[in-house]
Amino acid sequence: MNVITRRTIRTAIGFFAVGVLALALAGPAIASHIHVRATVPSEMTVGEMVRIPVALQEADGAPLRGTTVVFYLHAVFAGVTGEAEIGRAVTDENGVATLAYRPRLAGRHELRVEYVAPAEGEVEVVSTAFEVTGGEQLYRSAPGIDVPGLNVGLLMAVVTTVWSILLWVALRLVAISRAGSEVRTPGPSGAR
Amino acid sequence: MAALSEWHGRLEETALAPVRRTGLRYWALVAFLLAVIGWGAYAYSVQLRDGLVVTGMRDRISWGLYIATFVFFIGISHAGTLISAILRVSQARWRTPVTRMAEFITVVALVCGASFVIIDLGRPDRVLNVFIYGRWQSPIIWDVLAITTYLTASITYLFVPMIPDLALFRDRLAGRTSRWRGWLYRVLAIGWNGSAAQRRSLASAIGVLMILIIPIAVSVHTVVSWIFAMTLRVPWNSALFGAFFVAGAIFSGIAILIIVMAILRRAYHLHEYVTEKHFVNLGFLMAAFAAIMIYANISELLVHGYKLEEGVEFHFRQIFLAEFAPLFWFYLLGGLVAPIVIALLPATRNIRGMVVASVLVTVAMWIERYVIVVTGLHVPLMPYEPASYAPTWVEWSLLAAGLALFALLITVFTKIFPIIAVWEVAEDHEAMVGAPGAARRAARPAALETQDV
Repeated sequence: MNVITRRTIRTAIGFFAVGVLALALAGPAIASHIHVRATVPSEMTVGEMVRIPVALQEADGAPLRGTTVVFYLHAVFAGVTGEAEIGRAVTDENGVATLAYRPRLAGRHELRVEYVAPAEGEVEVVSTAFEVTGGEQLYRSAPGIDVPGLNVGLLMAVVTTVWSILLWVALRLVAISRAGSEVRTPGPSGAR
Repeated sequence: MAALSEWHGRLEETALAPVRRTGLRYWALVAFLLAVIGWGAYAYSVQLRDGLVVTGMRDRISWGLYIATFVFFIGISHAGTLISAILRVSQARWRTPVTRMAEFITVVALVCGASFVIIDLGRPDRVLNVFIYGRWQSPIIWDVLAITTYLTASITYLFVPMIPDLALFRDRLAGRTSRWRGWLYRVLAIGWNGSAAQRRSLASAIGVLMILIIPIAVSVHTVVSWIFAMTLRVPWNSALFGAFFVAGAIFSGIAILIIVMAILRRAYHLHEYVTEKHFVNLGFLMAAFAAIMIYANISELLVHGYKLEEGVEFHFRQIFLAEFAPLFWFYLLGGLVAPIVIALLPATRNIRGMVVASVLVTVAMWIERYVIVVTGLHVPLMPYEPASYAPTWVEWSLLAAGLALFALLITVFTKIFPIIAVWEVAEDHEAMVGAPGAARRAARPAALETQDV
């Protein structure tokens, strides 16, 4: 075996090892006896209510009933990064727990699902990600009390009145100037 | 008649004297003020280069010395409105020698105050965003609108009654002053020769302006107060803020007017026209406003303290007992109580006493604005440790530069424009001595008088 072949094998083993390590660290900690299937819609829009079902099944295919599933969203707010709980649901007779969720931000969302398998006692985790598009403004402040006539129009009317009076004063100055040019006599006017 | 003519001559000479003679002390003062402004410009360049991080302001206490100074300057700008407009409307004759100074203060203070808003912006190049992205529902837009209108009206109100005096300068200084001055007086006098038509136009313009400027001035400081009162902060949660700010503005305006009057009286030998009576009358007015301020403070603090809603306890502790207590107590005792005592005691009811009281009021009212701005933001909105704020050398330097700019503009104005409303003082004097035809010539400008003689 020449040098190049051995190097190639070592490189391939290295990549394989790194891949396994990455999967072990980043991949969901799914218990081997539980099958988890999270169904995420392919397209989501800001403000649109979507349902995200998570199905839990035992190794033999039997649905896992009555298990509480907690949903977290990876969030960054005011410089703090963490998992924000966005809802919880209990699996039904089909082993399905459904989260009703309304995305409020566009971009990539990382969803983390946690549950405690019966007779295990340890929290098991599965993660998935999805893209949200759109940019609708969701927050609407309360409209307040609408008093007829009490609005920007009134403000404009007041401002216009004030500036009209100032304009009238300016016209008085023009009148003074014109009167001066009409009556002006030779020599410095008004001089004693 | 000869005595009256001599008196007229003396008055004109007094008004013209600052323009005719300039001593070494004047230039020394200008140089000193320019040096302070230069230092402020350097501090501002540091702020522009490094950002607002060079100030003591941070995310939680985001307003500080700059905004306090802005409110202070807008407050003292009410000097001109009160003395000139309100006293003119109420036909208080003693006002005539001091009106022009008051109107100068108004315009200069507005210019200085508005500049502090720009200074407070981390990115002054974004100032136009106020108009581009402004919303009519925002008190910031109301503020910009009110101050712009007030500045325009104040400049007009300064200029219009000055026209006959500018004509006097034009005629008296013709050929005896520099060309640019001659040109300036000629242009600004807008051809005034005292004809009947001109007098009518002038009288109607002044009559309308003196009425118009009072509600504008009141609206300006009310809107300034709304910037605070309409923000969800416990110490600013008051419907009284508008009236409180207007009263405080007039109060500090009178104080600064007394100080400027005392300085100009001494510098330009105005003793014959600006007398102890003016200081004492303004002192009484200042004491009356001190009483109004005391009443407003009691009403405000008692109502808030009695209910002691969440956050108020922290606020009361900080202003009465903790870190802001020395400032707040100085404001209450030195700025509100002491001026009343000084005005009421016969021994201190004189020019010196009134100037001391005015200095106390001016300092106390600046402190009051500082306390309002900083303590309002100091109360934590959430259960975390309160933030702290201390102005840095950059902020103190810019405050000093702002005050120097105020003094410099007043100083330069006195060398270019008539500091006494000559025709109004003459008219007042004639009415007082009962000169023949005085009543008939009411509101007749001096330049017209000179033409008639």
